Amino acid sequence: MGIKYFYTFLLLIGPMFLESRPISYSGGSTLMLKSNAMQNSAYYHYSPSYKFSIGIEQVKDKYFDADYSSLRLTYLLNRKNTQHSQRNLYLQSGISSDGIDHYFYGVHGDWETRRLFSGFGYKETQTASLDYAEKYLQLGVAPYIGEYGDLHTWLMVKAKHDELTNEWNTYPVLKLFKGNALMEIGYTDASEWDIHFMYRF
Amino acid sequence: MKNFYLLFVMIAAVYTSAQDHQMHDMEGRNHEGHLHDTMVDGKLLEVNAERFDDFVLGLEGKQVAIVSVSGMVCDFCARGIEKTFSKDKTVLKLDVDLSGGKVLIAFDKDKNIDFEDIKKKILSNGQNATDLQIIKI
Repeated sequence: MGIKYFYTFLLLIGPMFLESRPISYSGGSTLMLKSNAMQNSAYYHYSPSYKFSIGIEQVKDKYFDADYSSLRLTYLLNRKNTQHSQRNLYLQSGISSDGIDHYFYGVHGDWETRRLFSGFGYKETQTASLDYAEKYLQLGVAPYIGEYGDLHTWLMVKAKHDELTNEWNTYPVLKLFKGNALMEIGYTDASEWDIHFMYRF
Repeated sequence: MKNFYLLFVMIAAVYTSAQDHQMHDMEGRNHEGHLHDTMVDGKLLEVNAERFDDFVLGLEGKQVAIVSVSGMVCDFCARGIEKTFSKDKTVLKLDVDLSGGKVLIAFDKDKNIDFEDIKKKILSNGQNATDLQIIKI
Protein backbone atom coordinates (compact mmCIF):
# COMPACT_ATOMS: atom_id res chain seq x y z
CA MET A 1 0.00 0.00 0.00
CA GLY A 2 2.80 2.33 0.97
CA ILE A 3 4.57 1.93 -2.32
CA LYS A 4 1.38 2.95 -4.17
CA TYR A 5 1.32 6.26 -2.31
CA PHE A 6 5.01 6.69 -3.01
CA TYR A 7 4.44 6.02 -6.70
CA THR A 8 1.56 8.50 -6.83
CA PHE A 9 3.67 11.09 -5.06
CA LEU A 10 6.46 10.77 -7.60
CA LEU A 11 3.99 11.10 -10.46
CA LEU A 12 2.57 14.24 -8.90
CA ILE A 13 5.89 15.96 -8.43
CA GLY A 14 6.58 15.52 -12.11
CA PRO A 15 10.03 14.03 -12.37
CA MET A 16 10.06 11.01 -14.59
CA PHE A 17 11.62 7.59 -14.88
CA LEU A 18 14.39 5.71 -16.55
CA GLU A 19 15.76 3.04 -18.69
CA SER A 20 19.30 4.33 -18.76
CA ARG A 21 19.66 6.82 -21.60
CA PRO A 22 17.61 5.18 -24.38
CA ILE A 23 18.52 7.78 -27.02
CA SER A 24 22.01 8.83 -28.02
CA TYR A 25 23.32 12.06 -29.51
CA SER A 26 22.49 12.64 -33.20
CA GLY A 27 24.30 10.06 -35.29
CA GLY A 28 25.36 8.01 -32.28
CA SER A 29 24.69 4.38 -31.53
CA THR A 30 24.53 2.37 -28.33
CA LEU A 31 24.86 -1.24 -27.25
CA MET A 32 22.82 -2.28 -24.20
CA LEU A 33 23.05 -5.66 -22.48
CA LYS A 34 20.59 -6.65 -19.77
CA SER A 35 20.28 -9.70 -17.57
CA ASN A 36 17.82 -10.45 -14.80
CA ALA A 37 15.67 -13.31 -13.54
CA MET A 38 13.11 -12.84 -16.33
CA GLN A 39 15.29 -12.38 -19.41
CA ASN A 40 18.65 -11.76 -21.00
CA SER A 41 18.80 -9.30 -23.86
CA ALA A 42 21.15 -7.47 -26.19
CA TYR A 43 19.90 -4.24 -27.73
CA TYR A 44 21.67 -2.11 -30.31
CA HIS A 45 20.14 1.19 -31.32
CA TYR A 46 20.95 4.11 -33.58
CA SER A 47 19.79 7.70 -33.04
CA PRO A 48 19.23 9.71 -36.23
CA SER A 49 18.53 12.64 -33.91
CA TYR A 50 18.53 13.25 -30.18
CA LYS A 51 14.73 12.89 -30.33
CA PHE A 52 14.45 9.23 -31.22
CA SER A 53 16.27 5.97 -31.62
CA ILE A 54 15.59 2.79 -33.55
CA GLY A 55 17.15 -0.55 -32.84
CA ILE A 56 17.07 -4.31 -32.72
CA GLU A 57 16.86 -6.31 -29.52
CA GLN A 58 17.59 -9.99 -29.19
CA VAL A 59 15.80 -11.47 -26.19
CA LYS A 60 16.13 -14.76 -24.35
CA ASP A 61 12.95 -14.92 -22.31
CA LYS A 62 13.60 -17.10 -19.26
CA TYR A 63 10.01 -17.04 -18.01
CA PHE A 64 8.49 -18.31 -21.28
CA ASP A 65 11.62 -20.19 -22.33
CA ALA A 66 11.60 -18.43 -25.71
CA ASP A 67 13.97 -16.57 -27.98
CA TYR A 68 12.88 -13.73 -30.22
CA SER A 69 13.98 -10.41 -31.71
CA SER A 70 12.26 -7.06 -31.46
CA LEU A 71 12.33 -3.95 -33.58
CA ARG A 72 12.25 -1.09 -31.08
CA LEU A 73 11.53 2.60 -31.34
CA THR A 74 12.06 5.15 -28.57
CA TYR A 75 10.86 8.73 -28.82
CA LEU A 76 11.79 11.66 -26.59
CA LEU A 77 8.41 13.19 -25.84
CA ASN A 78 9.64 15.95 -23.57
CA ARG A 79 12.91 17.28 -22.22
CA LYS A 80 13.50 20.14 -19.85
CA ASN A 81 17.07 21.39 -19.51
CA THR A 82 18.03 23.78 -16.75
CA GLN A 83 21.44 24.85 -15.55
CA HIS A 84 21.50 22.19 -12.85
CA SER A 85 19.01 19.55 -13.96
CA GLN A 86 17.54 17.62 -16.82
CA ARG A 87 14.10 16.01 -17.03
CA ASN A 88 13.09 13.52 -19.73
CA LEU A 89 9.95 11.70 -20.74
CA TYR A 90 10.22 8.92 -23.31
CA LEU A 91 7.76 6.75 -25.20
CA GLN A 92 8.92 3.29 -26.19
CA SER A 93 7.49 0.57 -28.37
CA GLY A 94 8.56 -2.64 -30.04
CA ILE A 95 7.27 -5.42 -32.20
CA SER A 96 8.53 -8.97 -31.95
CA SER A 97 9.70 -11.30 -34.69
CA ASP A 98 7.12 -13.76 -33.28
CA GLY A 99 4.36 -11.85 -35.05
CA ILE A 100 2.20 -8.75 -34.88
CA ASP A 101 0.33 -10.08 -31.83
CA HIS A 102 3.55 -9.86 -29.79
CA TYR A 103 4.50 -6.26 -29.07
CA PHE A 104 5.07 -3.82 -26.24
CA TYR A 105 4.66 -0.14 -25.51
CA GLY A 106 5.42 2.00 -22.55
CA VAL A 107 6.63 5.21 -21.08
CA HIS A 108 9.61 6.04 -18.97
CA GLY A 109 11.20 9.14 -17.62
CA ASP A 110 13.83 10.56 -15.38
CA TRP A 111 14.88 13.69 -13.60
CA GLU A 112 18.41 14.22 -12.45
CA THR A 113 20.88 16.70 -11.13
CA ARG A 114 24.52 15.96 -10.59
CA ARG A 115 23.65 14.78 -7.07
CA LEU A 116 20.12 13.31 -7.28
CA PHE A 117 18.30 10.97 -9.60
CA SER A 118 14.70 9.80 -9.87
CA GLY A 119 13.21 7.62 -12.54
CA PHE A 120 10.17 5.54 -13.36
CA GLY A 121 8.96 3.20 -16.06
CA TYR A 122 5.84 1.42 -17.21
CA LYS A 123 5.81 -1.19 -19.96
CA GLU A 124 2.86 -3.21 -21.24
CA THR A 125 3.62 -6.37 -23.20
CA GLN A 126 1.04 -8.18 -25.33
CA THR A 127 1.60 -11.72 -26.54
CA ALA A 128 -0.62 -14.30 -28.22
CA SER A 129 -1.13 -16.09 -24.90
CA LEU A 130 -0.67 -13.50 -22.17
CA ASP A 131 -0.61 -9.76 -21.54
CA TYR A 132 1.40 -8.34 -18.66
CA ALA A 133 2.88 -5.13 -17.36
CA GLU A 134 6.10 -4.16 -15.64
CA LYS A 135 6.74 -0.98 -13.71
CA TYR A 136 9.55 0.40 -11.67
CA LEU A 137 10.71 3.36 -9.65
CA GLN A 138 14.30 4.30 -9.05
CA LEU A 139 15.87 6.86 -6.75
CA GLY A 140 19.56 7.61 -6.48
CA VAL A 141 22.18 9.82 -4.95
CA ALA A 142 25.76 10.44 -6.06
CA PRO A 143 28.03 10.16 -3.01
CA TYR A 144 30.59 12.44 -4.65
CA ILE A 145 30.51 14.75 -7.67
CA GLY A 146 32.99 13.63 -10.29
CA GLU A 147 34.40 15.70 -13.09
CA TYR A 148 34.34 14.91 -16.79
CA GLY A 149 36.33 11.73 -17.39
CA ASP A 150 36.22 10.51 -13.77
CA LEU A 151 34.58 7.33 -12.58
CA HIS A 152 31.04 8.35 -11.58
CA THR A 153 29.09 6.44 -8.96
CA TRP A 154 25.44 6.37 -7.97
CA LEU A 155 23.85 4.59 -5.04
CA MET A 156 20.27 3.77 -5.92
CA VAL A 157 17.18 2.00 -4.74
CA LYS A 158 14.92 0.36 -7.29
CA ALA A 159 11.38 -0.88 -6.71
CA LYS A 160 10.12 -3.12 -9.48
CA HIS A 161 6.78 -4.80 -10.04
CA ASP A 162 6.17 -7.59 -12.51
CA GLU A 163 2.61 -8.80 -13.16
CA LEU A 164 3.89 -12.24 -14.02
CA THR A 165 5.01 -12.74 -10.45
CA ASN A 166 2.66 -10.10 -9.00
CA GLU A 167 5.33 -8.93 -6.57
CA TRP A 168 7.10 -5.70 -5.76
CA ASN A 169 10.82 -6.14 -5.25
CA THR A 170 12.86 -3.35 -3.75
CA TYR A 171 16.61 -3.63 -3.86
CA PRO A 172 19.83 -1.60 -3.92
CA VAL A 173 21.47 -0.76 -7.24
CA LEU A 174 25.00 0.40 -7.84
CA LYS A 175 25.46 2.47 -10.99
CA LEU A 176 28.92 3.19 -12.35
CA PHE A 177 29.99 5.00 -15.47
CA LYS A 178 33.19 6.23 -16.96
CA GLY A 179 33.72 7.56 -20.45
CA ASN A 180 31.40 5.79 -22.85
CA ALA A 181 30.62 2.83 -20.60
CA LEU A 182 27.88 2.53 -18.00
CA MET A 183 26.97 -0.35 -15.70
CA GLU A 184 24.08 -0.88 -13.28
CA ILE A 185 24.13 -3.78 -10.85
CA GLY A 186 21.25 -4.68 -8.55
CA TYR A 187 20.47 -7.72 -6.48
CA THR A 188 17.40 -9.00 -4.71
CA ASP A 189 16.65 -12.36 -3.11
CA ALA A 190 13.46 -12.69 -5.16
CA SER A 191 14.66 -11.80 -8.64
CA GLU A 192 18.39 -12.28 -8.14
CA TRP A 193 20.82 -10.18 -10.20
CA ASP A 194 19.57 -7.29 -12.31
CA ILE A 195 22.46 -6.11 -14.48
CA HIS A 196 22.57 -3.49 -17.24
CA PHE A 197 25.61 -2.65 -19.28
CA MET A 198 25.71 0.09 -21.89
CA TYR A 199 28.37 1.33 -24.27
CA ARG A 200 27.91 4.38 -26.44
CA PHE A 201 29.76 4.58 -29.74
CA MET B 1 19.81 -9.24 5.48
CA LYS B 2 21.76 -10.10 2.34
CA ASN B 3 20.56 -6.86 0.73
CA PHE B 4 21.86 -4.84 3.69
CA TYR B 5 25.20 -6.61 3.40
CA LEU B 6 25.34 -5.79 -0.31
CA LEU B 7 24.46 -2.17 0.39
CA PHE B 8 27.25 -2.01 2.98
CA VAL B 9 29.77 -3.38 0.50
CA MET B 10 28.60 -0.84 -2.12
CA ILE B 11 28.92 2.07 0.32
CA ALA B 12 32.40 0.95 1.38
CA ALA B 13 33.51 0.71 -2.26
CA VAL B 14 32.09 4.13 -3.04
CA TYR B 15 33.68 5.69 0.06
CA THR B 16 37.08 4.43 -1.08
CA SER B 17 36.45 5.85 -4.55
CA ALA B 18 35.34 9.19 -3.08
CA GLN B 19 38.53 9.41 -1.02
CA ASP B 20 40.61 8.95 -4.18
CA HIS B 21 38.56 11.62 -5.88
CA GLN B 22 39.09 14.12 -3.06
CA MET B 23 42.85 13.59 -3.26
CA HIS B 24 42.65 14.23 -6.98
CA ASP B 25 40.80 17.52 -6.28
CA MET B 26 43.42 18.64 -3.78
CA GLU B 27 46.18 18.07 -6.29
CA GLY B 28 44.28 20.30 -8.71
CA ARG B 29 44.31 23.22 -6.28
CA ASN B 30 48.06 23.55 -6.13
CA HIS B 31 48.21 26.51 -8.49
CA GLU B 32 46.30 29.75 -8.63
CA GLY B 33 43.95 30.75 -11.41
CA HIS B 34 44.00 34.13 -13.09
CA LEU B 35 40.47 34.70 -14.32
CA HIS B 36 38.39 35.40 -11.24
CA ASP B 37 37.80 39.06 -12.15
CA THR B 38 38.12 38.90 -15.91
CA MET B 39 35.40 40.72 -17.86
CA VAL B 40 34.39 39.77 -21.41
CA ASP B 41 31.97 42.06 -23.28
CA GLY B 42 31.00 43.66 -19.98
CA LYS B 43 30.20 40.31 -18.35
CA LEU B 44 32.16 38.55 -15.64
CA LEU B 45 33.83 35.47 -17.03
CA GLU B 46 32.20 32.58 -15.22
CA VAL B 47 34.71 29.83 -15.71
CA ASN B 48 36.85 27.74 -13.39
CA ALA B 49 40.17 29.59 -13.45
CA GLU B 50 42.38 26.59 -12.83
CA ARG B 51 40.59 24.54 -15.43
CA PHE B 52 40.88 27.38 -17.94
CA ASP B 53 44.60 27.82 -17.25
CA ASP B 54 45.19 24.13 -17.86
CA PHE B 55 43.11 24.23 -21.01
CA VAL B 56 44.92 27.16 -22.65
CA LEU B 57 48.40 25.77 -22.13
CA GLY B 58 50.02 25.73 -25.58
CA LEU B 59 47.21 27.75 -27.15
CA GLU B 60 48.99 31.10 -27.37
CA GLY B 61 47.69 33.14 -30.31
CA LYS B 62 44.46 31.12 -30.51
CA GLN B 63 40.94 31.95 -29.32
CA VAL B 64 38.70 30.06 -26.92
CA ALA B 65 34.92 29.92 -27.02
CA ILE B 66 33.38 29.45 -23.59
CA VAL B 67 29.89 28.09 -24.11
CA SER B 68 27.32 27.96 -21.30
CA VAL B 69 25.23 24.82 -21.60
CA SER B 70 22.03 23.88 -19.74
CA GLY B 71 21.05 20.27 -19.10
CA MET B 72 24.63 19.04 -18.98
CA VAL B 73 24.19 17.13 -15.74
CA CYS B 74 26.14 13.95 -16.32
CA ASP B 75 29.39 12.86 -17.87
CA PHE B 76 27.75 10.09 -19.87
CA CYS B 77 25.21 12.41 -21.50
CA ALA B 78 27.85 15.04 -22.30
CA ARG B 79 29.98 12.57 -24.28
CA GLY B 80 28.13 13.38 -27.49
CA ILE B 81 29.27 17.00 -27.29
CA GLU B 82 32.89 15.92 -27.49
CA LYS B 83 32.09 13.46 -30.30
CA THR B 84 30.16 16.05 -32.31
CA PHE B 85 32.78 18.80 -32.06
CA SER B 86 35.63 16.38 -32.73
CA LYS B 87 34.26 16.02 -36.28
CA ASP B 88 34.79 19.75 -36.84
CA LYS B 89 38.32 20.16 -38.21
CA THR B 90 38.50 23.80 -37.08
CA VAL B 91 38.26 22.73 -33.43
CA LEU B 92 41.75 22.54 -31.94
CA LYS B 93 40.85 21.41 -28.44
CA LEU B 94 37.75 20.88 -26.31
CA ASP B 95 36.99 20.52 -22.63
CA VAL B 96 33.74 19.86 -20.78
CA ASP B 97 33.35 21.50 -17.37
CA LEU B 98 30.40 19.69 -15.80
CA SER B 99 30.52 21.64 -12.53
CA GLY B 100 30.42 25.00 -14.28
CA GLY B 101 28.08 23.93 -17.07
CA LYS B 102 30.61 25.11 -19.66
CA VAL B 103 32.17 23.75 -22.80
CA LEU B 104 35.53 25.25 -23.76
CA ILE B 105 36.43 25.10 -27.44
CA ALA B 106 39.71 26.33 -28.90
CA PHE B 107 39.90 27.67 -32.46
CA ASP B 108 42.50 29.39 -34.60
CA LYS B 109 42.60 33.17 -34.10
CA ASP B 110 41.16 33.80 -37.59
CA LYS B 111 38.18 31.49 -37.22
CA ASN B 112 34.81 33.24 -37.27
CA ILE B 113 33.04 31.63 -34.33
CA ASP B 114 29.37 31.15 -35.15
CA PHE B 115 27.20 30.82 -32.03
CA GLU B 116 24.27 29.47 -34.09
CA ASP B 117 26.45 26.63 -35.36
CA ILE B 118 27.59 25.90 -31.80
CA LYS B 119 23.97 25.93 -30.61
CA LYS B 120 23.04 23.39 -33.30
CA LYS B 121 25.89 21.09 -32.34
CA ILE B 122 25.02 21.26 -28.64
CA LEU B 123 21.33 20.68 -29.41
CA SER B 124 22.19 17.61 -31.48
CA ASN B 125 23.34 16.16 -28.17
CA GLY B 126 20.07 17.17 -26.51
CA GLN B 127 21.34 20.14 -24.48
CA ASN B 128 20.96 23.89 -24.94
CA ALA B 129 23.75 26.41 -25.45
CA THR B 130 22.65 29.56 -23.64
CA ASP B 131 25.61 31.92 -23.82
CA LEU B 132 28.95 32.41 -25.55
CA GLN B 133 32.06 34.29 -24.48
CA ILE B 134 35.18 34.45 -26.62
CA ILE B 135 38.66 35.03 -25.27
CA LYS B 136 41.78 35.68 -27.31
CA ILE B 137 44.74 33.93 -25.75
